[in-house]
Amino acid sequence: MKEPVRKTKHPYLVGVAIACVVGGYFHLVSKEKKFPEPGPNLEYDISELLEIDEVETAFEETGQIVPDFDEAKALETDADGNLYISGKNTIAVFDRAGKETSRIAVDGTPTCLELAPNGQLLVGMGDHVLVLAPDRSPLATWTDLSERTHISAIAADEENVYLADGGSRIVLRVDYDGTVLGSFGKADEARDIPGLEAPSAHFDVAFDNDGQLWVVNPGRLGLERYRDNGDIVTTWYRPDVTRLDSFSGCCNPMQIAFNSKGRLITGEKGPVRIKIFEVTSGSFEELVVGSSAFHVPQQIGDLVVDSSDRILVLDPRKKAVRIFEQTRTDLARKEAAE
Amino acid sequence: MSERKKLDRRDFMRTAAAFSFTGATWMAVGQKAEAKYWQLDPAKCTQCGRCTTHCVLNPSAVKCLNQFDICGYCDLCFGYLQPGSRDLDTGAENQLCPTAAIERKFIEAPYYEYKIHEDKCIGCAKCVKACLVFGNGSFYLQIRQDICINCNECSIAKSCPSDCFSEVPESDPYMYLTGDTYLAHPPA
Repeated sequence: MKEPVRKTKHPYLVGVAIACVVGGYFHLVSKEKKFPEPGPNLEYDISELLEIDEVETAFEETGQIVPDFDEAKALETDADGNLYISGKNTIAVFDRAGKETSRIAVDGTPTCLELAPNGQLLVGMGDHVLVLAPDRSPLATWTDLSERTHISAIAADEENVYLADGGSRIVLRVDYDGTVLGSFGKADEARDIPGLEAPSAHFDVAFDNDGQLWVVNPGRLGLERYRDNGDIVTTWYRPDVTRLDSFSGCCNPMQIAFNSKGRLITGEKGPVRIKIFEVTSGSFEELVVGSSAFHVPQQIGDLVVDSSDRILVLDPRKKAVRIFEQTRTDLARKEAAE
Repeated sequence: MSERKKLDRRDFMRTAAAFSFTGATWMAVGQKAEAKYWQLDPAKCTQCGRCTTHCVLNPSAVKCLNQFDICGYCDLCFGYLQPGSRDLDTGAENQLCPTAAIERKFIEAPYYEYKIHEDKCIGCAKCVKACLVFGNGSFYLQIRQDICINCNECSIAKSCPSDCFSEVPESDPYMYLTGDTYLAHPPA
């Protein structure tokens, strides 16, 4: 005789129990790690390269100037300690205390500024130069300077204006009428000129305190000194990402300036570092501020040194001009003793 | 008991017209609803390496691209060379890429072109990070839509720590890098 099939009195409870077991199983399975985490071979670790600038410095950030306009890009200072900051359609002038005193309207965003010895303000506008008279009224516009002009820096003495043309990777020598008198920086084996390499539009020129023209060769990570006629006088290059006394990255230093003692102040991008060098030999002297004070990676907009030897750095990420001053007397004494 | 009504020719035509109208409407609406594809925003990418390990495809559908108008064509290319390489050449010991997917080609002194071989690229982003930190930032990652199988739920997107994955329309399936990308959205 066939036995009767035993039926549960609570079929719904059995169904719920089975659903819980199945659900729990899939929940646990989904918690399992399906994909491995990337191992060290897939990681680009720059921590060791950043550690090289973890040293005591004699400088501190003592203040900030925050302009209230967009696209702040270039800085310039005058003998009275006034600071010029260029931005979108404007150049604002701040006094030493950081108070805005005047504004000059311009059409576009200036890429660089230079106060000429005759009081004119030379404003690099990318593909042309705007000349403002000492009263800051428009005086002239210099155009048709080169085939692919991108003016990234200007240096002026009594007779000539030197324009760093990052677009054509040359330095243009121009008179105060805007006439191009010559250019240099192209590779020339016969004259022992290696050629300026500017992989990006950061390419600076500046006069030292003796009136010698220094040009950054960013692709070679160093500086070159030129005569008026384009002859090269001296060069030094410091490419080494692992050393503090050298420049990191593909193209540095992106900004240079000189302080009242004639020491070279350099600004690097990527890991931002501000350093001081002896300009003739290219020997590293000290670090002003290391990468820990900035975001990594980032660029700096511009770098100038004012009449009080304060180092002013335009930080595009903070949209502020950051002021660094030497404050540590112990290092200063040590330096004086040396 | 009611008799079933017989379908005459007029009813048949009406029904056919109704079906045709519905079908045409569905087709029109269906064409407007554009397909979506997964893509990653290079401005948000933090080069964590999970694009390599978390894609259901092996190798990953995420590949590195080089935006040539941003590239500096540097001899000392940090995207190509190990940091601190003694020689700037194509020696295997000097190359950063774990699969040698980047080809270095001489253009004119002192410039070199860097071409990514996508069949070798695993999307690890080592070169992207190196170029971003030490160079112009011309390398960036993108999902290659011709390789991606467009999962309903992208497994890389689920694990991405910077939330840089989103669905983009079929008509605009890539997020190209521009000179202002990193300025507009600086990497966190």
